[in-house]
Amino acid sequence: MVPIQYYLLLSASVFCIGLFGVLTRNNALLFLMSVELMLTGANINLVAFSAQTGTLTGQVFSLFVIALAAAEVAIGVGIVLALVRNFEGVDVTRATTMRW
Amino acid sequence: MALPEWLALAPTIVLGAAAFALFAIDAADPRAENGALLAGTATLGALAALAFAGWALIAGTGTEEPITLFAGQLVVDGLSSFFTVIVASVAALVTVSSYDYLRGRGDQAEFYSLVMLATIGMSLMAAANSLVTVFLALELSSLPSYALVASLKRNRGSVEAGLKYFLIGALSSAILVYGISLVYGVAGGLRLDAVAEGVATTDLTGVLGVGVLMVLGGFAFKTASVPFHFWAPEAYEGAPAPISALLSSASKAAGFVVTFRVFTTAFGLDLAGVDWVLAFQILAVATMTLGNLAAATQETVKRMLAYSSVGQAGYVLIGLAALGGGQNAGVLGASMLHLLVYGFMNTGAFLFVALAEHWEVGRTFEDYNGLGTRAPVACVAMTVFMFSLAGIPLGGGFFSKLFLFAEAVGAGFWWLAAVGVLNSVISVYFYLRVVRAMWIEEPGENLGRIGEYPVGIYTAVIAAAVVTVALLPGMFLVDGVASDAAAHLF
Repeated sequence: MVPIQYYLLLSASVFCIGLFGVLTRNNALLFLMSVELMLTGANINLVAFSAQTGTLTGQVFSLFVIALAAAEVAIGVGIVLALVRNFEGVDVTRATTMRW
Repeated sequence: MALPEWLALAPTIVLGAAAFALFAIDAADPRAENGALLAGTATLGALAALAFAGWALIAGTGTEEPITLFAGQLVVDGLSSFFTVIVASVAALVTVSSYDYLRGRGDQAEFYSLVMLATIGMSLMAAANSLVTVFLALELSSLPSYALVASLKRNRGSVEAGLKYFLIGALSSAILVYGISLVYGVAGGLRLDAVAEGVATTDLTGVLGVGVLMVLGGFAFKTASVPFHFWAPEAYEGAPAPISALLSSASKAAGFVVTFRVFTTAFGLDLAGVDWVLAFQILAVATMTLGNLAAATQETVKRMLAYSSVGQAGYVLIGLAALGGGQNAGVLGASMLHLLVYGFMNTGAFLFVALAEHWEVGRTFEDYNGLGTRAPVACVAMTVFMFSLAGIPLGGGFFSKLFLFAEAVGAGFWWLAAVGVLNSVISVYFYLRVVRAMWIEEPGENLGRIGEYPVGIYTAVIAAAVVTVALLPGMFLVDGVASDAAAHLF
């Protein structure tokens, strides 16, 4: 069996790649993809720990997380559509009608 | 006669029934502009939930012996009923006032059903007893809120607010679930009691510490506390005003109840590896100070209220920051009381802004000049809210703040109370600025349009003001309920 540390390392790298994308991209759709990566990192953890402890709790939870990620994208794409209609593009930095 | 146990969830069930009834009405008549029917259904659902939760508190359902449901995933106790009362009251005020706010729009059924769904999520957050249900309930309250904030589809401010709220919400929910996965790895379970057992014996304190801090970050988003507060001013300013009220009162209260439950029952006060009480002390001071200082520099009333709501979250955080001083139930109970009063006074203040938006008087303090001469009843109510938020004894906000600071001093955290008092002094300036504009300044040209008096918003504003004032003497009645509910956490 692959030691648990490797899974943790993998999940942490996937999470950090996602976080990097969130912090550096201006494109709303790339932002959504980056958040998906972060959630995937969490799912890797859940499944790996679940296998290690021999319980199914984590695996079931990861299914819930996947379903919720899909729901979140559905809402997110709706908001991105409204963004495109009002601000002519998917650049999140363009929406600055309110001061910071 | 013994009622079946699942009936303890009656408040959540009636909220769900109201949401489905709204969907059914919408399916039967998709272009319905019958606002009275839709608003009535939603309000009836919220009031029924309020009645059931209030009854549970009075009859003692779960207050002595918590009722656990669905293999311990949900729990009904004094804490959950108390917070269900708060979110259901706020939801009722919001749906009543939306009747006027939404008049003439074609998507009213969607609006009300999303409000109901978000409210179900908040009432489930109060009852969540496992990290799974915590996460699911939190998302159930967040996802409809994103859509509601952006629901004025052709208003650039609303879309921008929805976008920022969504982006930060998605990021913080990813952080929360990653934190939960780390805690799961250490504890080997997700139910709060299993987590408490698992973390008590672990030697993986490093991983656990990172996990706990990430969970804390996810909750800080929901309660609009530093460092995840910066969505709040944007979202509250751009959103339709009734939705700002829902988010800043009910959603914040729900965020606090999961924080209370998860940190006290799952992580516990003697958690190895991370001193989360210290983290809450830093957050409380930072949140109070930042919220109040930023509110003092605002020019628009709605944005001032948004920052003031960040500052108020800082006061509530004292309840967690002052744990461990021997007064645990007392400080936590005082926090709960403050959230109860805050639920009415802050909702009322945002609904007054909704009223001003309805009359199109403008957004800045100057635009409110002389409003007291044209709409005295509503302005008296707004004055009550502002005094109560500032902690001046005209509303329940005075006693809840007093209790909070007194309990903090009693627990030995006099410096937290001192920072709180200093912040309250700052806050008097910007709250009274609204009062001065309404009553002392001369009316401007912009008030000419105040002709009709919207019955829904008026009802909600006055009801909120009456409860805020009634809680001044009523505080001594609910004080025992709150501290009993808090005592069961330890």
